Order: sequence, then structure tokens, then C-alpha cells
Amino acid sequence: MKQLKYSAIALALISSLAACGGSGSDDTPVVEPETGFSFSADEMIVNLSDDVIVSGYSILADRGTALLLATQTLVATPTQANLEAAQAAWKDARQPWEQGESHIFGPVDSLGIDPHLDSWPLNTTDLQTVLANSSGFDADTIKVWNDDVQGFHTMEYLLFGDGVNNNVKSIDELSANERDYLMGLAEVFRDYTRILADAWLVSHDGKSGAAYGELLKTPGTNGNTFYSSQVGVIEELIKGMIGIVDEVGNGKIADPFGSSAQTADTSKVESQYSWNSLTDFSDNIIGVRNVYQGEFTGEADKQGIVDFVSAANPELATRVGREIDEAILQIRAIAGTNNMPFRQAIQDTAGRVRVQKAVDALSKLQTSLQNEVLPLLQEWQGK
Amino acid sequence: MKWDLNAVVLGMSVFLSTNALAAVDPEVLQQAIERQENELKLLKQQLATMAQQQQEQVSKQQEVVKTLVQSEAAKSPWSRFKFESYGSVNYTSDEYYDNVQDTRPERRGRFDLERIVTEFGYQFTDEWDMEVEIEYEHGGTGSALEYDGFDEFGEFESEVEAGGEVMIEKAQLRYRPNQHFGIKFGNIHLPIGLSSILHKPNQYLTVLRHRSEAAMLPAVWNETGVGIFGEYADFHYQAQVISGLNSEYFRTYDWIASGHQKRFESVNADDLAYALRLDYGSFKKGTAVGVAYYYGNTSGNRHKSNKVSGDGSVSILAVSGAYVEGPWIVRGQYLYGTLSDADAITQANKSTPGLKPGNFAQLGSESEAFFIEAGIDLHHFFDLPLTVFANLDYANPLADVDSGSATKRYENTWTSLGVNYSPIPEIVIKAEAGRQQVAVAAIPDTNFFALGVGYQFSL
Repeated sequence: MKQLKYSAIALALISSLAACGGSGSDDTPVVEPETGFSFSADEMIVNLSDDVIVSGYSILADRGTALLLATQTLVATPTQANLEAAQAAWKDARQPWEQGESHIFGPVDSLGIDPHLDSWPLNTTDLQTVLANSSGFDADTIKVWNDDVQGFHTMEYLLFGDGVNNNVKSIDELSANERDYLMGLAEVFRDYTRILADAWLVSHDGKSGAAYGELLKTPGTNGNTFYSSQVGVIEELIKGMIGIVDEVGNGKIADPFGSSAQTADTSKVESQYSWNSLTDFSDNIIGVRNVYQGEFTGEADKQGIVDFVSAANPELATRVGREIDEAILQIRAIAGTNNMPFRQAIQDTAGRVRVQKAVDALSKLQTSLQNEVLPLLQEWQGK
Repeated sequence: MKWDLNAVVLGMSVFLSTNALAAVDPEVLQQAIERQENELKLLKQQLATMAQQQQEQVSKQQEVVKTLVQSEAAKSPWSRFKFESYGSVNYTSDEYYDNVQDTRPERRGRFDLERIVTEFGYQFTDEWDMEVEIEYEHGGTGSALEYDGFDEFGEFESEVEAGGEVMIEKAQLRYRPNQHFGIKFGNIHLPIGLSSILHKPNQYLTVLRHRSEAAMLPAVWNETGVGIFGEYADFHYQAQVISGLNSEYFRTYDWIASGHQKRFESVNADDLAYALRLDYGSFKKGTAVGVAYYYGNTSGNRHKSNKVSGDGSVSILAVSGAYVEGPWIVRGQYLYGTLSDADAITQANKSTPGLKPGNFAQLGSESEAFFIEAGIDLHHFFDLPLTVFANLDYANPLADVDSGSATKRYENTWTSLGVNYSPIPEIVIKAEAGRQQVAVAAIPDTNFFALGVGYQFSL
């Protein structure tokens, strides 16, 4: 009797579950889905891996080397011109890094490179302690220290000053100890950018493992435990784009922006010492455009995510392209006519209106990528 | 009895009748009265003796019933079972900094169902017993979401604490043939740190357990292993061989505490550790002094064991004392620890994929912490079960580093005043207000306030 009762309950559960799950497809006559498209992704994946990602990290490593050279020159001959050259080298290195944030998966994540290079906020109190108590900085020692006293922003602080009223610094304001530290930091930076480029080009684990670039290009092949299909690769790429659009709009811009000029928090503005924030943000979205278009700005047309989207919905492909450009434009427009840095713009009435426009443009782009581009993966009849 | 009463009645009537008939001779009358009085005295004596005999018989019967009940109870399994529980709920209000640049603190109040612990045990025989302690922390589920304000933009980290939020804190078998010697094995408490000994809410005065210890050691440190223990006169000793720590999880802010292997289903046991403790007196009962020492290597327990070539050995010395006499309560502890190959471990943790200690990678080659709490139990002076106390906690998990200079950001001092109110002995209500000072001059001092309710009982 009891058993019978349980069976009856189980039966009822199964049938109701079946009804829920199968509604529309099981009961009604089978209808071929109208959506669905075909696209051969081989060329796009190879191109994005080689010409956008790996090439970007190679440029970063080269600029890391250039930055080290510039600081060595500065230490050897501390002149204003050499300081400015080092400042320029820092900005040059910043560009491929920020553009690369649109695909911040793989070794940069698994090897934990990001915090070593780009920890923010900077720990100025500890930095003062380090400078006061140590000297003769060598790279191996610096590597053991916490990430918030090394990387891009520590170098930025030493090169550009506090950034409150301006982003210029005279050579007299840079002590010999600070120059030494800067050189040590640049060496550590060079090492990490080299490790990162090698992980994509030579071996993802620095040992016998395949290059990460190869793994990305050969999904589903034997021994590729990272990517079992092309869908996985394209998903990673699209999610990377969504990730940085989200971070720029809802993190980098929105966090310091606050709800009003009074609650705006300038201490949270990234790259505030060099006043490079708006360049950082637009480079982030240019990175999205690189992945979307399949080539760096100004280069000959190659296959990118846009070709994948276009195969499904040409109209959407064009619209997303426009939305990316619009986001970049609006970020740049925050500077206004008098080249106002982001740090100042968030406390300025007209500036805040411009910031809000950029946030809206980013939000629109994020919605399109998330709600329209990403779901295309399910309709793609490929692998 | 009936007969005696009859005799009394008879005697009375005789007396009355003689009184009526021969009232003339006073001497005879006098004699008659005396006779009657003697008679009465005798009767009273008899009555008393009988009552006493009866009383004895009743108590004898009670004795029989009692022994009968006792022998019956001894046969019941419940007499060998014990159940205990303790727990606490806290409200804290403290100030925090948004990020490492921030020097304008913001206040945040929090409720926390800190812990509910249930403990049961069974005495198999006079020598053998077992005990299991299950802890539900923060309400008890399998994972917790943590907000890491020191990371870029503040990062929400979902930390899955396998066995961390509901966990077995103790599961031991003991064999104790006599007072001098016992052996226990299984998952046992390490006698390092006073909170492993005094962890019930009425055993410490502060609302939260001592912050100094939490910044250096695992809270209520338990490991799998075997230990011996016993007592001679007032001396208590313990010696243990237990599972060691894993240095992959050592972090700047709590030194070796996060290296407590509880994230995984099994514990890496390539490096074992050793713990010793000697106390004079008993901390659980009151006044005592004690010294404890821990030593163990950690590199072998790393999942990626080829990352560190040194042993990564941890040694900890703990000296503690308590004076609990009359209204006075004073307890204190000093902890000093060293970690070998601290730089190598830092570098390995920074470059091990997936570990991501970020800004918390740097490790102290030396670590130091102490606390002292002092209280006066006002119940000795007034009809009020109230204890007032003052507390001082100090912790510096980064007291020294292998190379370069140690940041003072993790050097904290907490000073506070508070009260413990126990409406009944099983319940304690606590309040505490104090100040936290970071040794970095640029970081302003902050004030905190905490309320807590704790209970403990045992069946």
C-alpha cells in the first residue's frame, strides 16, 4: 500500500516535470527553428589569437623592455628630458596593456600576472615606508613585496607626482632613491610582460605545456584540456569583451563617479597621477573593437567577431560596431573642450553630464553584447 | 500502640476516680500523682523510641530504593552519553577603509550568528570514551561570499569553504587508564593558543574571541593526529603529533592561520607537526600558568610541492597565565612565531596559478601577538551578576620579513572596556567598546562597539 502511494507520487512528479520541461516542443508538432546560421570560425579564431592577442602581448613585452631602458637612462643621466622620455615610455606600455584587458583570460589570469602589473589603488603609505627604509632595490627583492607597491601605478606615481593639480613633475622632485626604485620596478615589470608573452607564444606554463595561443587555435584536438570546441573559444572572446565593458562602465568610471559631485571619490580614479584615465578607458574599449573587428585600428580588414555576428544578423553586426565606436567617442568626450582630466570631470557639473553619457553608451553596448551577441552561440550551427 | 493509648486512658480514668473517692489525704494524693507522672514519662519514652525505629525503617527503605535506581541507571546507555552545546550571536559596529589609499573611515554595523557548537560524547568503559564537536559558523552553509576591499575596485569573492562553515571541530577517541596518563587520537584540539582551551562564551571576557590570536593562529586549532596527556599533582601536560600546515594559504594578515588545511576533503600529511604544552594549574578552572610550543614543516604539504625548496618550518611559542581568585580575573597570553623561507613562500604563492594572494602574499619571517584582559566580578560586592573588564590585544603578523622592510599596516592594537552580565550562569550578555590603532601614522584610529549574547549548557 505504502509502496503504491510512493509510486503514484513519483509518477505524478515525473509527469508534471515532463510537462514543464517539454512545453511547446513535445506536445506540439516539431517546428524547425527559424534561427540558426552557419559560419566557419577557423580563420577568425586563428586571426584573433595571432594578430590581436599574441601580437598585443608581444608589443606589451617590447614596450616593457623600452620602459626599462628609459628608466636606466634616467638613473644614469637624471635630466628633465630623460624623465619625460620615461613618462612617455610608461604611457606607451600602458596602451597595449589596457587594450589587452578585453581578453583578460588565459595566462594573464592563471599566472596571476594582472595584480603584479596593475594593482590599484596604490598603497602610498607603504610606498613611503619602502622608500624611507630601503635602498639599492633589485628586482628579486621587489618581486617578494606586496603587489600594491609595484607595477604600473607605483611607477606612475614616481614619474608623474600626486596628480592633484597637474601631471607634470620636475626632475628635482625625483630623488636618487626613487629613481633606483623606479628602475627596479621597471625590471620586474619587464620580466612579467615577458613571461606573459612567452606563455602565449612558447608555453602556457613555462615548461613543457603548449603555447596558450596554440591551445586557443586548436579547440577540440587531442590533449587540449582548455578548449573542447570552437564554441568555447568564441564564448571566451565574447565574454572577455563583456567583462571589460562592464568594468569600465560600472567599475572604473562608476565607482569614483558616485551619485553626486559631493559623493564623487577622486581617490578611486585609476591612473590619476598621470591623468591618463580617459586614455585608459578608451583604450579598454578600443581593445573590444580590436577583438570585434579582428584587427588593430587602421590595419587591413581581417576576420573578427563581427564576421561571426554578421553571418547571423548583418544588421546587429553593424549596430554593435557603431555602439563600440560611440562608447569610445563618449569616453573621449568627457575631457570636454578644455581637456579636463577624469579626476576633475567627476566633480564638475558639466563634466558629470558628459560622464553620464559615456556610462549610458557603455551600458547600451554591454546590453547588446550580453543579450544579442552572446546568445548567437546557441544558434550557431557549427562547433 | 493501641494498647498503650488504652493504658493511658485507663490510667487517666483511675486517676480521676481516685481523685473523686479519696480526696481527703493529700499525701496519698501526692503519691498517686507522682506514680501517674512516672507512668506518663515511661509511656512518652516508649513513644519516642517507637517513632525513632519507624524513622530508621523508612530511611532504610529509601536507601534500598536509591541503590536500586542507581544500579538500574548504570545499566542504561544514556548514563554514558553526554551532550553539550555553546554558541554566540554578535553585533559589531566598526569603521573600515574602502581601499589602501583611503584615510576616511566609514562605519558599518554587522550582525553575526558567530557560532553554534554541539558536542556529544560517549563513555564506552571507564577507560575509553569518544567526543565529537560540530560547529556551525555564521549560520552554517558550504560557501561564503566575501568582500575584499583591498582589491581593485573591491572584489566579491565567492569562497567555498568545504567543511569550513559547518565543520567537525573535534572527533576524538580517548583511552585514559589513570589520572597520570591518557592518549587521544582522531581530530583533536591543539593546546596552542588559549582560545583552544577557553572557547566557550563565559570563558573569555571580550565579545569576540581575542583578535590578537586570530591574527596569528587558526581559531580553535584542530588537526588530525595523536596526543598524550595527563596530570601529576597540579601539573598538566600534553604532547601531540598532528597534521601540519600548508603554506600555499599563508597570508599577510593572519600569518599561518589560513594555512590550516580545511578547504579540502583530505589533508596533505607529508609534513607532520609537533605540539607540547605544560600547565601548572588549570585554565579551565581558574588560576594557571602555562607554556606551549609548536613546530612543523609546511613545504611538503603544498599541492605544488616543487615551488619551495626550503622546509618552510613554523615554530610558535606561547606563554600564558590566568589569575582567577575571588572577584579578580586576569588572563594573558604572549605568542611569538617564526617562519623559515618566508620569502621563498611569498614568491611561490605569488607565482602559483590560481592561488592569487594578491596584496596579501608577503609573509612575516617573524610574527608576534599578545593580549591581556582583566575583570572584576561585582557579584562579590553587590547583588548583581556583572563583571566589568578592560582588554588589550596586540598583533603583528608581519613583525619582520626576510628582505626589505615590513609594512606596519598589519600591526594592530585594540584596547577596550566592557561588561559581562550573566542573568543565569548559562547565559552571558556582553558589551564592549574600544579603539583600534594601526601602527601606520597616516591611518587614523577607529572606534568599535560590540554586543554579544552567548550560552553554554551540558546535559
